[in-house]
Amino acid sequence: MKEIFTGLYNKVIGFFKQTEPEANAKDIACNRLRVVLMQDRTNLTPELMERMRKELVELLSKYVEMDKEALELNLEQDGDQMALMLSIPVLRAKDEAEIEQAIAQEKAESDAETQENVEESDSVQDDDKNNNAHKCEDYDVECAECNECEISDDVECEIKKKKKANKNTEKTEKEDQE
Amino acid sequence: MDGRVIVITSGKGGVGKTTTNANIGTALAKEGKKVVMIDTDLGLRNLDLLLGLENRIVYTIVDVVEERCKLKQALVKDKKNPNLCLLAAAQTRDKTAVTEEQLKDICEQLKKDFDFILVDCPAGIEQGFQNAVAGASEAIVVTTPEMSAVRDADRIIGLLEAKEEIKSYKLLLNRVRPNLIKSNDMMSVDDVVEILSAELIGIIPEDTGIITSTNKGEPIVNDEKSLAGKAYKNVARRIIGDDVPFLNLEEDTSFVGKMKKFFSGLMGKEK
Repeated sequence: MKEIFTGLYNKVIGFFKQTEPEANAKDIACNRLRVVLMQDRTNLTPELMERMRKELVELLSKYVEMDKEALELNLEQDGDQMALMLSIPVLRAKDEAEIEQAIAQEKAESDAETQENVEESDSVQDDDKNNNAHKCEDYDVECAECNECEISDDVECEIKKKKKANKNTEKTEKEDQE
Repeated sequence: MDGRVIVITSGKGGVGKTTTNANIGTALAKEGKKVVMIDTDLGLRNLDLLLGLENRIVYTIVDVVEERCKLKQALVKDKKNPNLCLLAAAQTRDKTAVTEEQLKDICEQLKKDFDFILVDCPAGIEQGFQNAVAGASEAIVVTTPEMSAVRDADRIIGLLEAKEEIKSYKLLLNRVRPNLIKSNDMMSVDDVVEILSAELIGIIPEDTGIITSTNKGEPIVNDEKSLAGKAYKNVARRIIGDDVPFLNLEEDTSFVGKMKKFFSGLMGKEK
């Protein structure tokens, strides 16, 4: 009986209020669960998601001016597939000159960084001259022959430098002999 | 005889693992199967209470493992049904008293004499769960249409899928409240099945009779009038392999609903 009365009461109130129907508890539960389970099922921790978000902001802000705080990055279920949904409130698209400038600036920064890394690994090399294996800062790998460094030309690693230096000294020695 | 070992698990506590175990076990025994139930919830045993066997327990699973008695001595026969046995958990010990290997060994021995070995799993995903699952080749995941229970069930399903020994798992949705589902206040059976993408083996309606049956130490399947009891009986039949349709819980059982049905029946409009 109570149920009937509360139902009737709600209907009467609803009639007078004429408000938009609210999302029902069932749908809220389903949606919240889907999001939570998505996070549970993947190994992406909140920290990793945050890192990904930051890196995306960094990348995208070269091209567009956006509201960084309002950027949303979520995993969502799309049928059987999982989708990474990225919602970016764009304030203004940058023009070409600005984009070029940003890219140039970034390049300069990364160059400066590699310079620093080379210097750092120099000091390491000094400490341990016999050890051929060294830490390549750009790739964070320990390598004997350092293939990684040879792939990218802008990074010069210790072994390359050494080889060059050796060749140079050999050349000068040869020249001296001649 | 080569019995089937089924673990009944849930992750979350309080969703009705032990009740499910007691009722499915009793229902299977009523179908003429030889059934043994193993309570692996060491330190928090309750299956004996639901079956009303708490005063008959002499030896527990720990006594078997520590060789104070033979396995057969520790099996407690049900009051009504001689096909039904219980291997009780020890109340004074913790989960480390029995190992995975020991449980596997017990299950192997029981397989020879019983059609069904139902393992009642403790809540959680720690060692107690690992032990309970060790000897089983099938699983029933009990959950309710609540967010926390569904989330934990999803976790358990993930763990079960990683286990090679578990050949199949099925979902049992407990404490379903048709009224709340109808008013869109609770997730429906379809919602839960879709979210967990698991095969369903039973839908048990919320039933206050469960409380009285627990108090009496008498599983609800013994109550012929109970809807939950009927639902549990259907689960048992599905386990055996019968094709039983799910109960229609949507049916309006209120007075108004019954009147409506009566009149529409008179008018010949009944679907």
